[in-house]
Amino acid sequence: MEQEMELLENYERDSGWFHKNVDKLRKMGFVEKFVAIKSSKPIASNKDINVVIKELENRGENPSFIFIEFVHPEGYTLVL
Amino acid sequence: MVKIPLEVYDFANGLRPMAHFLLRSDKPHIFAPIKAIVDTGSPKTLIGLSDMKRLRISKVQLNTIEGPLNPIRIGGGSVKTKILPNAKIKFSDLFEIELDVNFPVSGDEQINQPSLLGVDFLEKTGAGFSFNPSKREAYFEIED
Repeated sequence: MEQEMELLENYERDSGWFHKNVDKLRKMGFVEKFVAIKSSKPIASNKDINVVIKELENRGENPSFIFIEFVHPEGYTLVL
Repeated sequence: MVKIPLEVYDFANGLRPMAHFLLRSDKPHIFAPIKAIVDTGSPKTLIGLSDMKRLRISKVQLNTIEGPLNPIRIGGGSVKTKILPNAKIKFSDLFEIELDVNFPVSGDEQINQPSLLGVDFLEKTGAGFSFNPSKREAYFEIED
């Protein structure tokens, strides 16, 4: 139970880091790429999410537990 | 009354209320944290394609779920989904519910389509939803 909540908290923390640092990620060259974040750091990226997932697996990570998000270009509006 | 705080982040050029929760199912096996935009314009809860990839759930696995394919239009595209019945959604030690969750299995959904927590969640839980973008504040309020 405690581990579950820790997993969720870590994921939420990395989600927060991503959204607060998306401009920084754009400047780092991650525009239009999927970026995996762990412990507030980008650890894998690619335009193809399948490549990101493979890279995480190769690093011994479980992709299900890692925050992955697409970096939209600045000014790009997504209407749901 | 249980109050579940949500995050409000700028995402794709707009402030969005976002929920983070654990999604769990026995068949197909799923256990993963999910970030979903709370979307009162969506009647259904839907897992985005990129989350499906992250969860490593195949369309073959989803097609083993009984029930019809359900047509849904999102973001100008059209997809067909399979409904995973009674998936467990857990926000904290205080709150967990079972909800039917849609997974796209065919169609032209964009790979970067985010997961959405829809009105079905609010209806099932009886939750009130408050969103104040100027204060960057959002939360659910659910009767005990």
